[in-house]
Amino acid sequence: MNFHPIYDIVIVGGGPGGYTAALYAARAGLDTLVLEKLSAGGQMALTQQIDNYPGFEDGIDGFDLAEKMHRQAQRFGAKTVYAETRKLNLTAQPKIVETSDGTFYGKAVVLATGATPRELGVAGEKELVGCGVAYCAVCDSMAYRGKTVAVVGGGNSAAADALLLSRIAKKVILVHRRDTLRATKIYHEPLLKAENVEFRWNSVVTALLHQDRLTGIRLKNILSGETSIVECDGVFVSVGRKPATELVRGQLELDRDGYVLAGETTETNIPGVYAVGDVRTKPLRQIVTAVADGAVAIHMAEKYLAGDV
Amino acid sequence: MEAMNINQAQFEQMVGSGKTVLVDFWAPWCGYCRRIAPAYDQIGKRYGHTLVVAKVNIDDEPHLAEAEQIEVIPTLVLYRDGKSIGSLVAPESKAVIDQFIRETLAK
Repeated sequence: MNFHPIYDIVIVGGGPGGYTAALYAARAGLDTLVLEKLSAGGQMALTQQIDNYPGFEDGIDGFDLAEKMHRQAQRFGAKTVYAETRKLNLTAQPKIVETSDGTFYGKAVVLATGATPRELGVAGEKELVGCGVAYCAVCDSMAYRGKTVAVVGGGNSAAADALLLSRIAKKVILVHRRDTLRATKIYHEPLLKAENVEFRWNSVVTALLHQDRLTGIRLKNILSGETSIVECDGVFVSVGRKPATELVRGQLELDRDGYVLAGETTETNIPGVYAVGDVRTKPLRQIVTAVADGAVAIHMAEKYLAGDV
Repeated sequence: MEAMNINQAQFEQMVGSGKTVLVDFWAPWCGYCRRIAPAYDQIGKRYGHTLVVAKVNIDDEPHLAEAEQIEVIPTLVLYRDGKSIGSLVAPESKAVIDQFIRETLAK
């Protein structure tokens, strides 16, 4: 008979929320497993300079911060398996996690699968991340002081990004596939008033021009079919996000956009299952709020494991 | 064994010998290349006994990257009997790399 260890805590996803949960769990003496499909850090690992995580006065590279969080949790005994989670049975006792590298069992599960920015789907996008292609103006805008950037999208986050960048960059070109913004009205006036913001309506990005770094984008007007080239140092892609909740659809209650319904306690509708970081409903998706969730989840899980909930 | 960085001469020697060789074409400035590195090292440990798992920094070896027609990075290429038998661009997980190796070798 195969021997299957039962972990106290299985954490699905190795971003800042997941590894903070791992740190707190391991330090509390719980048997802790992190399942990560690629490498620590999640979205953070693709951000070259993180300046809004306190304690690093000169900023820190996202990949390095992720590795530090990983090693810190490891120091107290948290184990990591690089595996892609394929199926979850969250109501079973113990809870069952099927992955590309075997099946794991946990008394409690922390879901830390994050959210991913929607991509443009243009060739070269992935390898230019950090070299001109960015998905978060709050994170990466400082690198574009005095430069020319394009923002792609027409929703609230694209409008907010364009507005933020207009105060930093020399020039901002907002590219949107429709002829008007979907963003709420409060963004319209300041954007239209900003002297350094240009609009390219009815346009989509068809190519990313680059050497080592991005040098420009090719646009296509979807009405006329005309193409044009816009020279720029950066392109901020802000065409929405998608939470990684396919695995739990039908088990956990989700909101309309697919985020796991969970409040500050991180508790979900299933006892012993917690949602931390970008994957849960929350007003601000940042590293600082994800790590806070990780700590709270383990605090709640300890009560659950003690039969105290 | 962790994946080893090789130069053009080592590449030609390894691939030319007919061995099965997996090569990750990467560059230090490529963020996604760094993200796959920990998983790629695990691949090196898992498959180290059946194939050579190596990396080529395309900034150091631009001619090799050009000769192998590497247009985007990271690109993983599997070689057997001196020629390329399959490639994988920007894998999204270690599981995808595993699957690529298994399926390509089974062909």
